[in-house]
Amino acid sequence: MILDMAFKNLIRQGMRSLLNVLVTALIIIAIIFALSLLNGFQAQALRNMSTTDVAGGHYRVPGFDILTPTEWEDLTLPVPQALRHLPHSEKAEVLVQQGQLFPNRRLFPVQLRGINIDQSLLDLPLHTLKNGRMEIGETIPVVLGKQMAKKAHLTVGDTVVLKWRDKFGAVDALDVRVMDVAPMINPRIDEGVVWMRLDHLRQITQRAGEVTWVAVKRPVGPVAGFEFQTVENLMADLLTLLKHDRRNTRILWFFLIALAGISVFNTQILNVFKRQKEIGTLMALGMTSKKIIRLFSLEGILTALMAIVAAAVLGVPFFIWFQGVGFDISHLSETGFPVREKIFLDIKMAEVVYSTLVTVGIMVLMSWLPVRKVARLEPTQALRGRAIT
Amino acid sequence: MLKIQNVSKVYRVGGQDFIALHNINLEIEDGAFMSFVGPSGSGKTTLLNLIGGLDSPTSGEVVFNGFHLNEMSRDQLAVLRRENIGFIFQSYNLLPVYSVYENILFPLLLNKQKESQVRDKVMALVEKVGLSAEANKKPAELSGGQCQRVAIARALVKDPLLVLADEPTANLDVENSHHILEMMRTLNQETQAAFIFSTHDEKVTRFVNREVALEDGYVKSDKVKQPNGELI
Ligand SMILES: Nc1ncnc2c1ncn2[C@@H]1O[C@H](COP(=O)(O)OP(=O)(O)OP(=O)(O)O)[C@@H](O)[C@H]1O
Ligand SMILES: [Mg+2]
Repeated sequence: MILDMAFKNLIRQGMRSLLNVLVTALIIIAIIFALSLLNGFQAQALRNMSTTDVAGGHYRVPGFDILTPTEWEDLTLPVPQALRHLPHSEKAEVLVQQGQLFPNRRLFPVQLRGINIDQSLLDLPLHTLKNGRMEIGETIPVVLGKQMAKKAHLTVGDTVVLKWRDKFGAVDALDVRVMDVAPMINPRIDEGVVWMRLDHLRQITQRAGEVTWVAVKRPVGPVAGFEFQTVENLMADLLTLLKHDRRNTRILWFFLIALAGISVFNTQILNVFKRQKEIGTLMALGMTSKKIIRLFSLEGILTALMAIVAAAVLGVPFFIWFQGVGFDISHLSETGFPVREKIFLDIKMAEVVYSTLVTVGIMVLMSWLPVRKVARLEPTQALRGRAIT
Repeated sequence: MLKIQNVSKVYRVGGQDFIALHNINLEIEDGAFMSFVGPSGSGKTTLLNLIGGLDSPTSGEVVFNGFHLNEMSRDQLAVLRRENIGFIFQSYNLLPVYSVYENILFPLLLNKQKESQVRDKVMALVEKVGLSAEANKKPAELSGGQCQRVAIARALVKDPLLVLADEPTANLDVENSHHILEMMRTLNQETQAAFIFSTHDEKVTRFVNREVALEDGYVKSDKVKQPNGELI
């Protein structure tokens, strides 16, 4: 009976209940959307990091730090025996050195990154290097990422002077030719990086057989003279950034839920205020305060339940549509996140259930809070419409 | 059935005590059909509220059918009203979301009866108050007289011992008032429910069997209808 009454009361409030249902539904959708988008973004960022750079971890020369270029020259070693026999699909040998480009006579410090051109562990757009000559002739073939090319004002076919130091400290210089400007989905292998064949880099720096690190598909146990950097280590900074994002999303979450809560809270206050006479009548007819509170709370709960239905009805088609088109974040390419493509939602069922439950829980609480005072209402005052002013 | 013993009601208004009822003593028998009359502010509503357990006296006590209302909790009073007392209000106070039929059914549902078992009873009552054609209409679609008839049916549907009506005719024109009073008198005779209503309408006098006049919170007179039709 109370359910029937609550339902009819809601219908009577028409526009107001509809608005509450819609606001709550949109908020549920927004929360799930924000969380899932972040999930999708993170998943893609981590995937991109791992397919273009990190793989299953690096065996590195001990002490190497990508942020300390002045030490790169001292931190190279021959490929360790234990890793030599791994197939090209399971390892990528990388040598990192300092260099200086001189586009338009300006000095442009760069990271020279040589990678074994036969490797297929990492997914890098370097095919133009693969078909190049083995020997270095008048120019060294290199590939730049789009961001890098833009910063250095270089395009395909350009030649530019490169200076570097070899193993014995001698400074040498030669022209490099930009064979390709390729889209790199990971800015860390784009900005400031000049890609070349590993054999070329070894040759010009006189470091035959040497590497800075070897990326592997999976760890193969301790390797003498090298230290293993796990995926988590290599992505530590990214993971920290993402954690920060999570926190921001949670703040958004909180605001959205507060918004929905306030709208229901407000409706309920108005309800109790405007319907005092009705409450008084119900009391005169012999309804206990407890039951009246239950009735009004139920109206709020029904709103929340209808909001879930509405959220499903509106949300599912929206999410399906979104997964079809994706979200283009190429404009974010200036940021340090290794994501430059479209991102898609990664909807986690647990999060959906959790978010919905929390939202509904708050709705229920907000429906009940303002109605509590009915318990202390004097029937005569309520009947006169003077109990709450 | 009803004993009102030394009942006083004091309101505190702006730090001052205002005595709305002074030491009222009344005894009301089963099946009474009576009114409280008096000018505005004389305490009629206050007294009805005390009788119905909607409010409690500052001193004295109300004993209804053996129940001492002072000693009962809010919830117990609610149950007492639910089972034994019907209310009729000046402004009808129907539930706006419910149809005529549902409004009249409502007190029975509150008393945990099944709709299927009481449908006929409710419909019979709808017919008795002359609203068969309006059974499915909402209160907003009814005239004042029709609303008050719904309210009467709602008060009576649970076969109460007592019906309290606070100025039931104040919002109605002469003809409708007449109708309503006539109807209440008939129902009083048929159901043996006692009716007490408050009014300052002189026309009511000729319908009632007893008239208690209040003034400034005192009982000014208590007249009973004689066989010749006069109230003395
Ligand atoms: N809640 C209250 N607080 C303060 N004073 C009140 C309250 N309720 C009633 N009174 C006062 O008590 C007196 C009696 O009021 P009551 O409503 O019983 O009069 P009444 O006879 O029903 O008048 P009316 O014919 O206008 O309905 C009035 O002077 C009124 O102002
Ligand atoms: Mg009154």
